[in-house]
Amino acid sequence: MSEEAQVLKLFGIPFNVGNCLSGFVAALIVFFLVFWLSRKVEMKPNGKQNVLEWAIDFTNGIVKSAIPDEEGKKYGVLAFTLFMFIFISNQLGLIFQVNVGGITYIKSPTASTATTLTLAFAVLLLSHLMGVVKFGFKGYVKNSYFSPMPALFPINIIEQFTNFLTLALRLYGNIYSGEVLLTVIYQQLGKAAAPWTLIPAFPLEMVWQGFSVFIGSIQAYVFVTLTMVYMSQKVEKE
Amino acid sequence: MNATFLIGAAEGVQWGDFLFYLLTFVVLIAAVKHFAWGPVTEMMEKRANKIANDIDSAEDARKKAEELAAQREEALKDSHVEASKIIDRAKQNGEQQKASIVDSAQSEVMTMKDNAKKDIEQQRQEAMSGIKNDVAELSIEIASKIIQKELNAEDQKALVDSYIEGLGKQNGIR
Repeated sequence: MSEEAQVLKLFGIPFNVGNCLSGFVAALIVFFLVFWLSRKVEMKPNGKQNVLEWAIDFTNGIVKSAIPDEEGKKYGVLAFTLFMFIFISNQLGLIFQVNVGGITYIKSPTASTATTLTLAFAVLLLSHLMGVVKFGFKGYVKNSYFSPMPALFPINIIEQFTNFLTLALRLYGNIYSGEVLLTVIYQQLGKAAAPWTLIPAFPLEMVWQGFSVFIGSIQAYVFVTLTMVYMSQKVEKE
Repeated sequence: MNATFLIGAAEGVQWGDFLFYLLTFVVLIAAVKHFAWGPVTEMMEKRANKIANDIDSAEDARKKAEELAAQREEALKDSHVEASKIIDRAKQNGEQQKASIVDSAQSEVMTMKDNAKKDIEQQRQEAMSGIKNDVAELSIEIASKIIQKELNAEDQKALVDSYIEGLGKQNGIR
């Protein structure tokens, strides 16, 4: 991957073409994967359906551990889609990257701050919104900022921003560093002049890819878990 | 670019990505919910309900079977009692019938005996009265024969005539 990006201006709004395309591809992959898995839904589950139900059970478990009551059922589809999207996004850049004329068009969307900040912003905004919907504005302020005691108000305010930034930047940092190292190994060893450098380059790249798959899975899990924890702080009475 | 947006705060950041990702993600959630999440979770719910129902109905069926077994046991016991009752009743009936048949036979025999006795008595009496008459006639005849021996021819003739006359009279009476 490279730092240069093609910027397209539409209605005066700048779009990073590579980033948007990657996100779009990831979303398409998620959709078609899930769509394919959910064909022929039966009472007695077949192979594909078992995979999908396992994934749904997994994300439902994450939601349940944060929001154990009936309220949690509303967030099942959010947690599932979020997990699938981040997981696929994390793996996308490991499997293939499209680089045309020094500009990367397809990579891990989550290796960009724009993506991770957007996702974190969206889910945290939703959590605040659900808090207001559930407790009313007064109850939401009291529940979110003045509990367990009013003296914690400044810390609670700061926490809203740290939550947002850590949620986004943790994911970004993990995925971005993985991709950077993959690129460095490829460019310094794989493409180097001396042919013998290919010998250490191949296993190194492989090992790091494997590790990145692991990190990508863990980070998707962490992101969804923390999302649900932040959500529960807003919609559950402490 | 006049960017005061949180993500687009720095110059040169493509904040359009923000809108793009927001839109993509929301559409993705809607699509996943409509095409996969909805049907699959509905089916999972249905399955959970079905399993719960099956467990319940199995419990019900077991209870019903136990009840039926108990009922059958009861019925079997009852049927034993019933059978012995029926046998007892049949025995009693037989006994009664036997007694009544014997009684009626005895009474019939008695009446027949009585009737026979009466008949015999009557016939005896009739016979006795017949014999009395005969004896009376015979004795008269004998007496008359004895008397006639001491008569002479004329007297005898007269006596025969009278006898014949007497016979004629008798015949006339008869």
